[in-house]
Amino acid sequence: MRSLRTITLAALAGVLTLGVAACGSSSSSKSANAGVSAPEGVQTPATESLTGGKKGGTLNVVNHEDFEHIDPGQSYFAIDYQAVYATNRPLYSYKPNSFKEPVPDMAEGPPQVSSDAKTITIHIRHGVHFGPPVNREVTSADVAYALDRGANPNVANPYFEAYFKSLEGFSKANGGPIAGIKTPDKYTIVLKLTEPKAAIAAAALVLPVSAAVPEEYAKKYDAKKPSEYGNFQVATGPYMWKADASGKVLGVGYQPGKSATFVRNPNWSASTDFRPGYLDQINLSIGGDPTVIGRQVLEGSHIVQNDTPAQSIVKLAFEKFRKQLLIAPGSGNRYVALNNSHGPFTNVNLRKAVWAALDREAMDKARGGSLVTIPATHYIYPEVPGFEQAGGVTGPKFDYNEHPQGDPAVAAKYMKLAGYPSGKYTGGKTIQVVGSTGNPASVDAEIVNQTLKNMGFKTKFNLVDQATMYSKFCGVVTEEIDVCPNVGWLADFGDGQAALQVPFDGKYIITNGTNSNWPQSNHPKINKAMEVAENVVGASARAVAWAKIDKELVEEAVAPVWDWDKQPAIESKDVAGVADVWNEAGWDYGFTSLK
Amino acid sequence: MTRYIVRRLLWGVLLLIIVSALLFVMFRVFPTADPAKLRAGRLQSQKIIAEIRVNLGLNKPLITQYWIYMKNLVLHFDLGYSYYSNAPVKSLILERLPATVSLVLGGAVVWLVSGLGVGIISALRPRSRLDRFSMGGALVLVSAPEYWLGLILLYVFAADIGQVKIFPGANSYVGLTSDPVKWFTSLILPWLVVAAGNAAIYARLIRGSLIEVLGQDYIRTARAKGLTERRVVLRHGVRSAINPIVTILGLDIGVLLGSSVLVETVFDIPGIGRLNFDAITHSDFPIVQGTVLFAALFIIVANILVDIAYAYLDPRVRYS
Repeated sequence: MRSLRTITLAALAGVLTLGVAACGSSSSSKSANAGVSAPEGVQTPATESLTGGKKGGTLNVVNHEDFEHIDPGQSYFAIDYQAVYATNRPLYSYKPNSFKEPVPDMAEGPPQVSSDAKTITIHIRHGVHFGPPVNREVTSADVAYALDRGANPNVANPYFEAYFKSLEGFSKANGGPIAGIKTPDKYTIVLKLTEPKAAIAAAALVLPVSAAVPEEYAKKYDAKKPSEYGNFQVATGPYMWKADASGKVLGVGYQPGKSATFVRNPNWSASTDFRPGYLDQINLSIGGDPTVIGRQVLEGSHIVQNDTPAQSIVKLAFEKFRKQLLIAPGSGNRYVALNNSHGPFTNVNLRKAVWAALDREAMDKARGGSLVTIPATHYIYPEVPGFEQAGGVTGPKFDYNEHPQGDPAVAAKYMKLAGYPSGKYTGGKTIQVVGSTGNPASVDAEIVNQTLKNMGFKTKFNLVDQATMYSKFCGVVTEEIDVCPNVGWLADFGDGQAALQVPFDGKYIITNGTNSNWPQSNHPKINKAMEVAENVVGASARAVAWAKIDKELVEEAVAPVWDWDKQPAIESKDVAGVADVWNEAGWDYGFTSLK
Repeated sequence: MTRYIVRRLLWGVLLLIIVSALLFVMFRVFPTADPAKLRAGRLQSQKIIAEIRVNLGLNKPLITQYWIYMKNLVLHFDLGYSYYSNAPVKSLILERLPATVSLVLGGAVVWLVSGLGVGIISALRPRSRLDRFSMGGALVLVSAPEYWLGLILLYVFAADIGQVKIFPGANSYVGLTSDPVKWFTSLILPWLVVAAGNAAIYARLIRGSLIEVLGQDYIRTARAKGLTERRVVLRHGVRSAINPIVTILGLDIGVLLGSSVLVETVFDIPGIGRLNFDAITHSDFPIVQGTVLFAALFIIVANILVDIAYAYLDPRVRYS
């Protein structure tokens, strides 16, 4: 899961439905995707133009948050991706407003998957060059080295194991060459797998770990613990981090917590790329008060804000600067992780009772209401393939997920089925609820805690900062936390497996690492269904298979899901911003231009 | 005097060692999150986390870890690396020090000049309209939270988002060496905010202290000798009344150098306070450790300077 991120592959039908729903007309059009569309006058990634931008100029970007990791082998965060995808070219990428399928980026064409789904062959483009100080043509060996880095502990890539562990030789991989990655010639790379998992491995090639890295240059930096390649990185995209002659970025083009500067990559050739690269330079300033930043953007010139604007600024933009506001659907889900493996919530009817009792509408209101949220009914969220197949906005219908404002009568029904005839929990055990500090997360956590107390639970309620919540409590299986109200998931790319497997498959309950199956969902039937669906080939077949699993997860009420996020983004009036729907409305520097 | 200073310096070093030990215990023995997992990032395997644990030396006995930590700190002034940017903490702090020093020292000049000026005038005309007005104003400024005051000044006076566009707004800070004029203008509003609350406190302090001193016998004697009122007040009155101000000034500057996070955030000044705040937000422990250690250093040095200043200002003070 990337923080504040999602890469999606929604069907074109999804885009068309947005248009219908935006008209706000009939009830029939409303039923399928009501709430997914943006209000009238507000931009969406689906309506923005990718061509005809003015060339030249400097875009100023304001962020109140800093990057997490700028190394393409390690980055896994919305803001990081905006820089990484402007400066690096993975094998495949998504166009900003294209949900259907990834397009070849460093690759020349689609991946060729063998009939046994154990081999993937990719041909890479001729004539793509590294930026300074390497200044040579990119070859398949550079892509192979980039993938090898995925298993290098000094790089600490967060997702490589999840999607590429079926590579031959993966179990022994430690940063050196992986046996299953072959480069028969300068422009061909072949991935050999031990299992028929080509579908997911090929889909994951949109991730930045597949962006070429020159071994002869990077090896000395990768030998450091941790790797320092990020601070000396070389570009393949239209832009590069400003660097000195040796390639040093840190302290030159990147001052952590202060600023970043991107300049044109002199070796980039437009004829090899689908990005127009209109801008000459991007100056990024880090820090500041979100409300001040927001006003600077709305009232200023040539500025965009990259991270999430403050709630008050979104409201101001909606009321007074509507044309400068963009809302992107499909920005992840949020759910209440009830511990399925330990404590009272091993009882499925108790989980259903909590789901039924929860006022999800109030929780969404705390996040900013319908402008930026949709009360969720299931786990695959808008824009991810399988969302429509799983029932769209209304989702699979069960009485406990039907009423977003909560239904005490249904909750009482499931309490009785759970063995509590009074409709109140009388088990006596005090349950531990760990939420996240900061508004609106703490408000949502309070709502969940109060709901549990109303149901008769005695709770021990703690709010800690988000990093601590995950790394010390909710992500630690042995802590046996009963309820984590502030967890959520963003698929790494547009595939149902990326949206559902890690957070809900029993085999992803990690006892000694970073556990992201927070509800500790481990239901044999669902685990088995996921195992089968992993090997399904073909986009539509996979969407159907994972939508079915989505329904089963709702049927088991593994975790009451309460929100599908919509992401707002703001720009100055003289910026022709293009936002990435696959990157949670992050402004795409490769397409954005000045008016 | 020299022996006293040397002794105070040695105490200061001991205090820093104690602070560093406490920080070590806080972040290595009782961390709010596992440093190896934080360094590893999201969705990591056990194998990667174990490797990182070894790389960070977290698998070694605690006493060994502390020894290595102190050795690196004392011999190389090495405060470690950020979990996120891999940047050396030492250079991150040193890069941000000029911005914080500019903010705090400039602010101190403003609050000293305005606070002492208003306080002295009020003391000379106690219970006058001017006195009541200035002390009332001081009460308002003391009560105004810095963050709020900063936002108000920006919304009123900032060149970009203000109603009366006079001063550069947030994110306009530049280093003194790159453009002295821009440096000065970009800091006018932040200086006013930093100074506001302190000026009010200082005005009230000096007023009270000076009223008391001006009632002393030696002041009457000075006047009887025929000295000018200006000389009586400034040379004899203020010099005696200023001792509590010096004490609090040293502490205030020391504390602000390590914790001016609110003003730095509102005005987007890349200083140490904001570095610390961002690091706390992301549980970037090496930076938190480094900035807290620096803050402790500022306070200790400020205290020593205050003690030395005492001897100069008040000849009655003697150190043994």
